[in-house]
Amino acid sequence: MALRRGFQDNFDWPLFVTTAAIAVVGVVNLYSATSAAGVSLRDVYLQQIYWLTLGAGAAVLIAAIDYRHLERYGWVAYGIGIVLLVLVFLLGRNIRGSQRWIPIGSFSLQPSEIMKLCFIIALAKHLHNDPRTEGRTLKDLVIPGLILSAPLVLILAQPDLGTALLIVFVFATIMFLTNLKMRSFITLVVTLAISAPLTWRYLLKDYQRERLTSFLDPENDLLDTGWHAHQAKVAIGSGGWSGKGFLQGTQNQHKFLPDQHTDFPFPVWAEEQGFVGSILLILLYMALILWGLKIASEAKDRFGAVVAVGVSALIFWQTVINLGMVCGMLPVVGITLPLFSYGGSSVLTIMMGIGLLMNVSMRRFHF
Amino acid sequence: MTMLSVRREVGEFRKRYKWMALFVLLSMGALVVRLVQLQIVEHAKWAAEAERNITKIVRLPATRGIIRDHAGHVIAENRPSYNVFVTPQLLSEDEMNTIAGLMSLNSVQKQAFKNTVNAVPTRRRSHLVQVFTDISRDQYAALETHARELPGTDVVAVPVRSYPYKTLAAHTIGFINEVNGDDLKRLTGLGYGPGRFIGRSGVERAWESYLRGKDGELRMVVDVRGQEFDSQGNKRENKAQRREPVPGLDLRLTLDMDMMRSVERAFRGHPSGAAVVVDVRTGRVRALFSKPSYDLNEISGGLSSVRSAEIADNPFRPLIDKTLYESYFPGSTFKPISALAALEDNLVVPSARVNCPGYYELGKRRFRCTHVHGDVEMRTAIVQSCNVYFYQLAEQVGIDRIARFAREFGLGQKTGIGINTEASGFVSTREYYEKRHQGRYHLGFTLNAAIGQGDTRVTLIQLAMMYAAIGSGGTLYVPQLVESVERPDGSIVEEFQPRVRRRIAVDPAHLTYVIDGLYGVVNDPKGTAAEARIDGGVPVAGKTGTAEVSKKKLEPGEDPRRAWYYRRAHAWFAGFAPADKPELAIVVLVEHGGTGGKYAAPIAMQILQEALGGDTKIANHPAVLAAKKP
Repeated sequence: MALRRGFQDNFDWPLFVTTAAIAVVGVVNLYSATSAAGVSLRDVYLQQIYWLTLGAGAAVLIAAIDYRHLERYGWVAYGIGIVLLVLVFLLGRNIRGSQRWIPIGSFSLQPSEIMKLCFIIALAKHLHNDPRTEGRTLKDLVIPGLILSAPLVLILAQPDLGTALLIVFVFATIMFLTNLKMRSFITLVVTLAISAPLTWRYLLKDYQRERLTSFLDPENDLLDTGWHAHQAKVAIGSGGWSGKGFLQGTQNQHKFLPDQHTDFPFPVWAEEQGFVGSILLILLYMALILWGLKIASEAKDRFGAVVAVGVSALIFWQTVINLGMVCGMLPVVGITLPLFSYGGSSVLTIMMGIGLLMNVSMRRFHF
Repeated sequence: MTMLSVRREVGEFRKRYKWMALFVLLSMGALVVRLVQLQIVEHAKWAAEAERNITKIVRLPATRGIIRDHAGHVIAENRPSYNVFVTPQLLSEDEMNTIAGLMSLNSVQKQAFKNTVNAVPTRRRSHLVQVFTDISRDQYAALETHARELPGTDVVAVPVRSYPYKTLAAHTIGFINEVNGDDLKRLTGLGYGPGRFIGRSGVERAWESYLRGKDGELRMVVDVRGQEFDSQGNKRENKAQRREPVPGLDLRLTLDMDMMRSVERAFRGHPSGAAVVVDVRTGRVRALFSKPSYDLNEISGGLSSVRSAEIADNPFRPLIDKTLYESYFPGSTFKPISALAALEDNLVVPSARVNCPGYYELGKRRFRCTHVHGDVEMRTAIVQSCNVYFYQLAEQVGIDRIARFAREFGLGQKTGIGINTEASGFVSTREYYEKRHQGRYHLGFTLNAAIGQGDTRVTLIQLAMMYAAIGSGGTLYVPQLVESVERPDGSIVEEFQPRVRRRIAVDPAHLTYVIDGLYGVVNDPKGTAAEARIDGGVPVAGKTGTAEVSKKKLEPGEDPRRAWYYRRAHAWFAGFAPADKPELAIVVLVEHGGTGGKYAAPIAMQILQEALGGDTKIANHPAVLAAKKP
């Protein structure tokens, strides 16, 4: 009874509407993006609908359980995430030089996606139970740092630079909530500045370095890595004010866009719907993210606030990095556009994240 | 977990949300700015590129015009060259072996072929790669027969230029090859692009704009793989826009390739030389022969560096067009000019005799003659090529009068034949020698000029036009090489009439006198070309020449083993036939051949005999009649 009344009274309609709008537009766009690609991708948009439905179900379940119960099982969730990431190396399939998926029946699970949420929950639990108000020092960053490093190392090992970067950004955003002493902050920045070139030299794979260099000098490499980024720009730019019309994008229909249903769905949209459509989509994402921050600001406890910020940050960074990359402002890294890109694990993760947001939002009047 | 503690701690986060919101707004704002840039500001540029992406323009090459000789023999045409393309992705090891087998490749070629295919990078393996060019008919037949078993292999026919006469008239016909980067810069806007061909020399170059035609194009809408398809994913069939190519115009030259063959035969045994035959009545060029030559098919196909070096290092200079580009001392072939100059101004009485003791003394210097000729008058001096007579004559006429006449007959200036780089030659004058010797002029210069030694230089085409002008009674023509421009169906676009350069103001009686002398050169028993005369053949009038080139010292770097050859004089014969009613004027030069009468005249006789058949009656010619007088 209480649960149902809670749903009716406190249901977060703006969150639901923006999410649903993005998801619907995303499916429509996927239909176009895969229409020319041949039989193998014909039913991608249908599968996306199945995943969205499944994700919605998961979101409802997550939203229904008071998040304080989730807090209690935070470490369990984190543990499951880590185990899955380890399993990738045992059971995973190697696709395009990296091992990211665990095959389950006819589907593949991408544990690094699920890990994003597990990671947010674990970090939230830690910060919740470490209720300090005075400025934090580097010593206080040790445990959060450890929470970060385990999944980070495992994801980098796959290797999946994009997701690793994303987790670091989400981590940084969440830690931004807390007070860090200026001296500690400076030390941290200096350390990062020193480790960056070392990372470049020893941790990055050749293809990752190549992508970064081709971003810095795209004209030099129009035929290979830079070609993808270039054709994405051509698609977006040729869309103009109002676009070429649904199913009429030549860059998409004539297969000049690579990974048009996974990493590059936005150029398809921008080409066919033009500037007007692009701005509308960006407004939707912005509304969703800002709404997520509002939910965080209204959360009644640290765990809720951190989870809401974490999920908002996840959606924000994925959106900005993906759009920045297809617009030629950032190097090409494999980061999907939330709810717009095709991908079961990705859709499921975002939907569960939305479920978490809904959860926090609905319980802002409790306690 | 206690609710109270929870409530208190959220305060730490409060002040950060608005910064986060601001960051989100700024990031999204940056994306919007970028979209404004791409979709609005730069829209035209990207739209054009998107259009280019899906538009594939296939060039439909225009067939180049065919060049024929006067009689219609094909000199330059187009034949298909069969080039083999493979799609590496579709090519199995077995198929490569099959191809190698069908083409009868040896193991080295086979390995090279496999290496080429295997070296293609992954992203290009779905594209066509050219692996063989211009395969033989047998290889083509074998591949076509087994085409069904070779899905990854395509044989594509592309037109290439073919020159059936190979080396014959190569300098005149010229060759074509692919345009290079410099050409493209130079010729922007004229429709040249990569892979197109352009005339490099000879007629192929000079008449390029007529021969090339206009390429057509086929515009297709394609996908990223270059395949045509429509929005349903079906292959697009008839949507292409097509503009048909306009074939180039054909040329009919004045050349007579049968005569060229005859010239080539006549030159057998002489490594280096040249000959020109022109029609006395029209100035149309019948033969332009320069030996040694090069095979046009070979040179237009792109020479290997070895062959290229072989040709460039050949001491007989096959790349030089010896009919137009090279100039020589005319030697005694110049004497008719000196004679006409003397006659024209009545400075010399032709019947006046001069004694030739075999030399001529001028101050301390002795000028040699070929023999001791005794008492000679002008006709005998021409017939026996007596230098002493002409030394004496030169003293009276002076170098500048001779030069004026040389110019009148077209020496020292380009003839305007219109192909290749033509040399002007040189006519020496008093002014020239004074300038060269700081004002000190010697009469010796005049003496040498009169017998065509000195510094006067002529090209073969100039000399031929000059003798044609003598033969035609004083009409100097512009040498004509192209007779007409025709469409591929044979209809005539433009026909070129003979062009008279000038009518030389010369007394016909003087010409007749000189022609009589030239007739004697061949037909008098003591004439310098008498030995070359063909009994009962076509009557020839002409002049031999032996242009001395010998140097006492070796040039630095000169091979002493070759000196004997290079010190030998150039052998000349210039004249026309039939002597009574001239049709053809001829000039023959055998480089370092020796004396003109012995080495050049027989060649000229043979050519003229084969060309004119010797059935022309000469009985009524004034020269013949004059010769019969006691």
